[in-house]
Amino acid sequence: MSVVLIGLSIGMLLFLLAAGLTLVFGLLGVVNFAHGSLYMLGAYVAFQLVAWTGNFWLALVIAPIVVGLVGGVLEYFTLRPLYGRDPAYQLLLTFGCILLIEEFIRMVWGVNFKSISPPEAFAGTTELFGSTVTDYRMFIIGFGALLSVALFYVIERTRIGIVVRAASVNSAMVSCLGIDVGKVRTWVFVVGTMLAAISGVVAGPLLPLKLGMSFSIIIDCFMVVVIGGLGNIRGAILGAMLIGMTRAVGQQFAADWIFLLTYALLIVTLIFRPEGLFNVKGRQA
Amino acid sequence: MKRILALVLLLGLAPLVIKDQGLLYFMTLIMIWCVFAIGYDLVFGVTGLLSFGHAAFLGVGSYVFAFIVIKNPALFPLAVIAAGLAGGAVALVVAALALRLSGIYFSLMTLAIAELLFFAASSPLRALTGGEDGLTGVPRPRLFGLDFVDDARFYLLVLVFFALALYVSLRLRNSPFGQALKGVKMNEVRTDQVGFNVKRLKLAAFAVSGVYSGVAGALLGSLMQFVNSQGLHWSTSGDVVIMTLLGGIGTLFGPVLGVVVFEVLKEALSSRTVHWYGILGLIFIVATIYMPNGIHGVLASARARLIKGKKP
Repeated sequence: MSVVLIGLSIGMLLFLLAAGLTLVFGLLGVVNFAHGSLYMLGAYVAFQLVAWTGNFWLALVIAPIVVGLVGGVLEYFTLRPLYGRDPAYQLLLTFGCILLIEEFIRMVWGVNFKSISPPEAFAGTTELFGSTVTDYRMFIIGFGALLSVALFYVIERTRIGIVVRAASVNSAMVSCLGIDVGKVRTWVFVVGTMLAAISGVVAGPLLPLKLGMSFSIIIDCFMVVVIGGLGNIRGAILGAMLIGMTRAVGQQFAADWIFLLTYALLIVTLIFRPEGLFNVKGRQA
Repeated sequence: MKRILALVLLLGLAPLVIKDQGLLYFMTLIMIWCVFAIGYDLVFGVTGLLSFGHAAFLGVGSYVFAFIVIKNPALFPLAVIAAGLAGGAVALVVAALALRLSGIYFSLMTLAIAELLFFAASSPLRALTGGEDGLTGVPRPRLFGLDFVDDARFYLLVLVFFALALYVSLRLRNSPFGQALKGVKMNEVRTDQVGFNVKRLKLAAFAVSGVYSGVAGALLGSLMQFVNSQGLHWSTSGDVVIMTLLGGIGTLFGPVLGVVVFEVLKEALSSRTVHWYGILGLIFIVATIYMPNGIHGVLASARARLIKGKKP
C-alpha cells in the first residue's frame, strides 16, 4: 500500500512539473529544456527562504513568485526574438539557459547537498491500511490534487483558459481577434515556470538538493509529456501517474535498472505511439 | 582546398616552435574535437537534423578502441578502424529508429538512446566498461618503430586524422551526395519529389557522421590514455552542438572555429574563474539570438563588407 501512495506522490509532483512543460509547448511551441533547472531553482530558493525564516509555507508562496519572475525575464529577453526561427534554435537557447541557471546555483549555494525539513504539521507518520506513510507524502498528494483541480478549472472553464487554448490551436487567428498573443505567451511561460518552482519547493523535503536533480527530473518530465501527448494536459495527468507508479515499484524491486527501464519505456513509446498514448487524434498544423 | 593545405602545413610546423608539452596536448585535444565537430556538422549543418545523441557514437567508438588496444597495443590501426565502424553502426541504428519521427521527437529520441547507453555503461555493464572509474591503461600507439607516448609525435599523428577529416568533408560537401544532403535541409519535400530517397540520404549522413565520431572517440581515448562513461554523457552531445553552432553550421571551417573558440574560452575562463560554464551559457544565449550563422557568418559578412569597402 505504501508503494501506491509513494507512486501517487511522485506522480503528483511530476504532473505539476509536466503541466508547465506541456502548457508552454502547446502555446509557444517550445520544448523548454530549462524546465528542470527552473524546478531546481525553485527548490534552492525555498531552501534559502526556509533557512532565513524557518517557515516552509512562506517559501511555498514566495519561491514560485521569484522563479516566475526569472521565467518572465527569460521569455521576454531570450525566447521572444526566436519565435519565427527554426525550433532547433529555441531548443538550443533553453540549453544555454540550463548552463546559466546551474552556474547561478553553484555560485550561490555551492555543490554540497542541501536539504529542507518538512513543515512541522506534516513531519510525522500515519498508519494507513496497515502500513506507515509519512504525512508529508499525504500532503503532496492532497496539495497536488487541489492544484490540479484549480489548473483544470482555469483552463477549461474560464475566459483566460479559452484564450490560452485558442492561442495554442491558432495564435494568428487569436491575435486577429484583438488579443495580444505575445503577452499571453509571456504569462503562460511565467505560470509554467511557477508550476515548476512549486513542484521544486514541494519536492524539497523529499530529496537532497543537488545540482544533478534538474536533469534526472526533466527526463521523467519529458516522458510524462510524451506519453500524454505533447501539449495535452489531460494526457499529462495519466502519464504522470503511470511514471510515478513505475518509479515507486521499480525503486522497490530493481533499483539498479530503473534509469535504463525508464529510457527504454520512453524509446518504445516514441517508436510506437509518438503522438502519445492518450491522444485520440493529432492536431494538424 | 588551398585553405586546408595552408592550415595543415602551419599546424604541422607548429611543434618545431612550440616546445611546451602542455600546449601541444591541448592543441591535440582541439584537433580531435574538430574531427568530432566536422562529423557532427554533416548531420546538423549540412542535412539539417538536430541530433542530441552524438555522444553515443563517440563513446561507443572509444570503448571499442579501448577494448582492442588494451588487449594488444600493436593493433592500433585496426582499433581505430573498428572504432569508426562501430560509431557508424551505432549511428545507423540510432538514425533508423529516430528517423521514424520528425522535429522535436527526433531530437528527443536521439537523446533518449544516448542516455540509455550512458546508464547501461555506468551501471549494469560496469564489469565491462568500468563505469565512471573507466578503463585505465589505454596505450598510445607504436607505429613504424616510433613510440607515440611523446606528445609532439602524437600531435602529428592526430594532425593526419584532422587533415583527412577536413579533406573528406570537403569532398563530401561538394559531391553530388553532399548537394543532395543540402537539398534535404533546404526543402525535404522537393528533394523527395526530384527523385532522391530522402530517408536513405539521412541514414547515410548519420553513418558517415558516426564514423567521424567513432574515430574521434578512439583518438580521445588514446590521447588521455583513459576511457570512461563520461564520453557517453549527454553533455558531450551538448558540447558538440554548442561548438558547431558557435562556429557556424553548414560550413567547412565553422565547426573548427567553434571548437577552437569553445576550448580556448573554456581554458582561459576556467583558469581565472570557476564559473566558466555559466559564462559559456551566457555567450551561447547571446550567440543563438544575435549570430545565427556563428562566428564564421560574422567573419564572412565582415569580409564581404571589407571587399566592398562600404556597408552593404
